[in-house]
Amino acid sequence: MLLQGTLDLLILRTLLFGPTHGHAVAKRIKQSSEDLLQIETGSLYPALHRPEARGLIAASWEKSELGKRAKYYSLTARGRKELLAERAKWDTFSRAMGLVLS
Amino acid sequence: MREFLCKLGWLRQRNPKEDELREELEFHLTAESEECKASGLTERQARSAAHRDLGNLGLISEDTRAKWGWPMFEQFINDIRYTGRTLLRAPSFTGAAVLTLALGIGPTSAIFSVARGVLLKPLPYHEPDRIVSIFESKSTANNPRNAIASANFAEWLARSQSLQNIGMTGSSRRTVMIDGQPEDLPGRFASSEVFRALGVTAAMGRTFTASEDESGKDQVIILSYEFWHNRLHAREDIIGLKMIVNGEPRIVVGVMPPEFTIAGEKANFFVTYGWTMERLRTSPGRGISHAIARLRDGVTFNQAAAEMKNIAAQLEKEVPDRNANWTVNLVPVHEQTVDQIRPAILILSGAVGLVLLIACVNVANLLLARSTVRQRELGLRAALGAGRARLIRQMLTESLILGVAGGAAGLALAFVFHRGLLTLMADRIPVPRLDQVAPDMPVVAVTIALALGTGLLFGVVPAFVTSRNLHGSVREGGRHGVGSRSRRVLGAHVVAEIAFALVLLAGAGLLIRSFLRIQQTDPGFRAGGLLTARVQFPGAKYSDLRRRTAVVNDVLAKISVAPGVQSAAGAAFLPMTGGIGTGFYRTDHPPPAPGQRLSCDVRPITPGFFRTMGIPLRSGRDFAPSDVRESKQVAVISEALARRHFPGENPIGKQLVVRVGPPDGPWEIVGVVADIKMNSLEGDMRPAVWVPQNQLVAGGVSFLLRTGQDPLSLVNTVRQAVRANDPELPLADVMTMDGVVGRTLARQRVVTTILAVFAAMALLLAGVGVYGVMAYSVAQRTSEMGLRIALGASPGTLLQTIIREAMVLVAMGLAIGLAGALALTRVLQTQLAVKTTSDPAAFAGVTLTLGITALIASLIPAWRAATVDPLVALRNE
Repeated sequence: MLLQGTLDLLILRTLLFGPTHGHAVAKRIKQSSEDLLQIETGSLYPALHRPEARGLIAASWEKSELGKRAKYYSLTARGRKELLAERAKWDTFSRAMGLVLS
Repeated sequence: MREFLCKLGWLRQRNPKEDELREELEFHLTAESEECKASGLTERQARSAAHRDLGNLGLISEDTRAKWGWPMFEQFINDIRYTGRTLLRAPSFTGAAVLTLALGIGPTSAIFSVARGVLLKPLPYHEPDRIVSIFESKSTANNPRNAIASANFAEWLARSQSLQNIGMTGSSRRTVMIDGQPEDLPGRFASSEVFRALGVTAAMGRTFTASEDESGKDQVIILSYEFWHNRLHAREDIIGLKMIVNGEPRIVVGVMPPEFTIAGEKANFFVTYGWTMERLRTSPGRGISHAIARLRDGVTFNQAAAEMKNIAAQLEKEVPDRNANWTVNLVPVHEQTVDQIRPAILILSGAVGLVLLIACVNVANLLLARSTVRQRELGLRAALGAGRARLIRQMLTESLILGVAGGAAGLALAFVFHRGLLTLMADRIPVPRLDQVAPDMPVVAVTIALALGTGLLFGVVPAFVTSRNLHGSVREGGRHGVGSRSRRVLGAHVVAEIAFALVLLAGAGLLIRSFLRIQQTDPGFRAGGLLTARVQFPGAKYSDLRRRTAVVNDVLAKISVAPGVQSAAGAAFLPMTGGIGTGFYRTDHPPPAPGQRLSCDVRPITPGFFRTMGIPLRSGRDFAPSDVRESKQVAVISEALARRHFPGENPIGKQLVVRVGPPDGPWEIVGVVADIKMNSLEGDMRPAVWVPQNQLVAGGVSFLLRTGQDPLSLVNTVRQAVRANDPELPLADVMTMDGVVGRTLARQRVVTTILAVFAAMALLLAGVGVYGVMAYSVAQRTSEMGLRIALGASPGTLLQTIIREAMVLVAMGLAIGLAGALALTRVLQTQLAVKTTSDPAAFAGVTLTLGITALIASLIPAWRAATVDPLVALRNE
């Protein structure tokens, strides 16, 4: 399960480590959430293209580790700002939730 | 904004982006399967594991593309593109649907435009609903629109409190000199108040003043805009110009606005009566005029009608000689204008409405059938990732495109049809304001909306039904494409279509047959081989009646010896063109009480008229040249009159008093002739009194020439003979007698022609509809048929089964349609005063025609199914 809009945040967070392609983004999200966040791989690509349209991430075609051309996504300056802002919002939200629930 | 520009950029490079997306997803699959291989799977297993993980590629692409730009718009364009392709790939379906829509929309728009323009648009008068026409009517005769007595008119002017601007109007033919040539033209009498009652002022100059109504000051004339524009070259100096009318000068005081008519009656010019109040009060009978007036402020129509009835009752008591059994009849001017044409237009509207209904049912059939056929395709597309909403939208797009295409074709057809309608009606039927009717855009819009609505309704319903269970349809391979529900719906369509078509065919058949019956009526004379031409004597120049008879007799003497002429005669009124109807009595019987007078048609003629017309003389003699003004007044009566008023007696030698003005009689009967239809083929054989034109001189004469050759080849013979007498006498209404008779049937001919076209369209559409449904439903059952044949059923049995199914539906439709047709007959008779009897032969004929058409329409697909090769049929699975 995934909260609405959180996939965007996860993608931006993942790209903070550096440019990478869709497949790697999917893997990283799965790994780093210790497989708790089961995102449907299929929903990843629409999710990647939306921030691209908003200019939060940029894409370029690079040679991949498999030797084939792959589409690499990277954070733009706007994306970085968006990530910080969203991150702060999320922190506040989860702290609030924690306070209420604990 | 940035996002917008970015998307805009992407829109331009759509295709490269598609490729990139495909490559991106492909890379994902490769990377995923590499990983799976690393964990020990084979190449194939790894690949399919990767596919499973990623999910439905089509759906992902769709969702991703949605993030790029304007998905709705894009999809709409795509839908249109796709629909266009699929429609082009099914040309017979598309063609049938578009043609059906066009056939429904085109004629409907045209007819409804006419109906709206002629029947519903307010007349171009000031507050037209406050204007009334006033007629008189006699309780013992069936003519609610009888002309009024001038003497009563004078009383109304003095007594009515509820009406103002009471004016009088009637038709008036005049000889007008145009560019030095005399021309006999229809115009109208109109007193000055008529224009004020209508509330219309002149476009140039002015209308009449009250003093110009009076004798001696009436040397004025008002022209219609059309006459001024077309015949007088729109000359600027028209006002004040002197025109020669009936040999006397009149000053043009005004030109009316374009399209001005008095209650729909076309006229080239308007003149006043030139009356004096004294003459009005003492005028004995009823002429050709009626009154027009405006309701006073605050007075309702009913109040005015009641007051006028009261006045008429007073007048009946005061002057029984003139008014016994007479009353007045007020009619709203709009009703008077459209009354004559209303039944025809309502009949045509009803007929075209049925055609539209049948067309709509047909389109519904086509769409419904098609959507069921496409169930499998839709299932496939759903499996490939199309969402349900998307599929519905796709089907709606298809209905919409069909609707638009059909609408466009229909609109084109509407213009063609409208033009055809005008040409057909032009001059043949005097439809008021017909020439002002253009295809009416609101009407066209409503019709197209109706057709589109049908398209959408029948596109939406199947779309929902179909999209509900798509997975099933793929699994079953579309075998059960036609569910019992849609089959029932299609069955209902067949029933409805047949019923509608039968109502229309029966109605049209009824009217067409009664028209043919009228047309074949024996008028009592031989119309073939007769030329007619009319001369109207200008009153001033021919005030000496002897001069008129001299001209008539001299022209006849000249033409009867001309080559090619077998015989020639003259008549004051041609049969079928109206004339005088008046009272009479036998001199050997006491004069009847007022209001009890017997009436007959009086027709002045020349000797030889009966021979020329081919009317047999029953007894006595024809008129002779020796029956002149100075000799004894003689008359020939019709058999009808002899039968009714001289039963068991010999009328020859008896005398009649006929009220025709100064020479009332007595007229001595010298002969009896066979009856003829006097005023129209539909009318009864009315009692007639024929008198010598030498003894009762009328204002004009129609010459009649019988010939063995083409009657029109004798036109010059008549013209020269008339010119030799008076070069200023215009020859009018030059036509064959067949033409004269045909003219009285013109309206019915036009209406029945259009009805026949509609009936043919309905038959065609119904046939196509039944064929479509049967072809479709049979195609759905091809495998069943194959199976049955494989199991030993004979084609004959199968054919029977299918036909029986179809015929049950058709029979239901016919039964419902017959009931509707019977109801329609009653409506036609009671509401529209159409003279038809219920016509079992017509009903049987159309029922049979429709049944056979439906049988043939279902036989073709049934035969195809029954003779299907079982192998082919089963392979279809």
